[in-house]
Amino acid sequence: MFLTVLKKDLLVELRSKEIVISMIAFGVSVILLYSFSFNQSPETFSIFSAGLLWMVFLFISVLGLHRSFSLEKEFDAMGLMLSAPVDRSYIFLSKWLSGLAFLLVSQSVIVPLFWLFLHLPIPGNLGGWIGLFILSDLGITSIGSLVSGITMRARMGEILLPILLFPLVSPLLIAAVRSTHALMNNQDFGEWRIWIQLMTTFVVAFALMGYVIFDHVSEQ
Amino acid sequence: MRKPFHSKTSSRIMLAVISTMAIAGLFLVLEFTPSISGQAGDVMAQKIFYYHVPSAWTTGLAYFVVMIAGIQFLRTGDHKWDWVGLASAEIGTLFCALVLITGPIWGKAAWGQPWTWEPRLVTTLILFLIYVGYFMLRQFGGHYERAARNSAVLGILAFVDVPIVYVSLKFWSEETQAHPQAQMGGQSTTILWIFLFVLSTFALLSVHMIRYRIHLLSLRNELLTGNHGI
Repeated sequence: MFLTVLKKDLLVELRSKEIVISMIAFGVSVILLYSFSFNQSPETFSIFSAGLLWMVFLFISVLGLHRSFSLEKEFDAMGLMLSAPVDRSYIFLSKWLSGLAFLLVSQSVIVPLFWLFLHLPIPGNLGGWIGLFILSDLGITSIGSLVSGITMRARMGEILLPILLFPLVSPLLIAAVRSTHALMNNQDFGEWRIWIQLMTTFVVAFALMGYVIFDHVSEQ
Repeated sequence: MRKPFHSKTSSRIMLAVISTMAIAGLFLVLEFTPSISGQAGDVMAQKIFYYHVPSAWTTGLAYFVVMIAGIQFLRTGDHKWDWVGLASAEIGTLFCALVLITGPIWGKAAWGQPWTWEPRLVTTLILFLIYVGYFMLRQFGGHYERAARNSAVLGILAFVDVPIVYVSLKFWSEETQAHPQAQMGGQSTTILWIFLFVLSTFALLSVHMIRYRIHLLSLRNELLTGNHGI
């Protein structure tokens, strides 16, 4: 049953492509603004680049998450889904994993452009990068889906989502930026293992919370 | 018809006790606590600690109540728990603001700058921001029932998030100056007793304020539902 819900979320996006395209377009525009605002030597820029990169990802995830949930408001799709014999936690899991998929697809376009436009040195350790992105994205989209669920039917939901999400997601952002910085500088894994542990804790805590509590969020 | 909150004997006694304790506390802090000179040499600034730290503890306590009330509200659906949650969130945020105001006043004197990215201070700021969002959610959350449920969820989320925020900030800003609160245990007993006295004043005050707010919320509910005279 869970797979059906997930398939629905992915299929809707596959047909319209509106979420991923808007995420990529927005992300690329922000990179463009970055390169205009930091018109300095690449060395100076590389100090901030890890943080700036994650700012882009945070912005586009808000965009994607909001859209993904507001789609459910059209024709009262959420109401219909709630009346279907589906475990409501599956709705959360499906939004979480589809959100992860959208974010990863967007990142696969944005990250190369970020490196290209801003003349950053090409780093090695591809496996480490992929692992880091998946782990951090799991964190952002888990708490993001929960908060989107809370704000989706509120007035000004599109503003409330970032206002609530940004402070809540701050530990994950710190960890992701620190890890990215470490990967960029080829630091020893032992030095930044703590951040991976922290992100794992975050993902587990909020995935579990989402699974348990989403039932109450989605109630009509 | 219910008696107005401030006409109840229990409320009056409580208010009298709190007022006396507050004045006595101020006197004790000003007269009997030693001044410790900070980097900027301002010795009086140390005294604000007897208000800063109790505010922080009261904030933590109030937000803990928000979480418990949130869980209870989701479990039982009883609106009383929603009022408890909202009242505690409001009072907690009030004390949280006090922490954020008194912290920089002390920091300016002791560290020479009002704001450092010190884990406890930043965690408090993040909590404050989350609760600003909480009240916005209350305001714009749509139907009352839905807003109540969603803010209960948010209250729980915030409480789960805060330990992670704190740990991450601790590792993030290892180089910033340590918060002096850790050394509290090594101080003389006079300091400890005066601190505990002010802390209990704050605790009583917050309980009193929360009770008053719950009373107001229940009155509003009676007005809205037309369910008068219990």
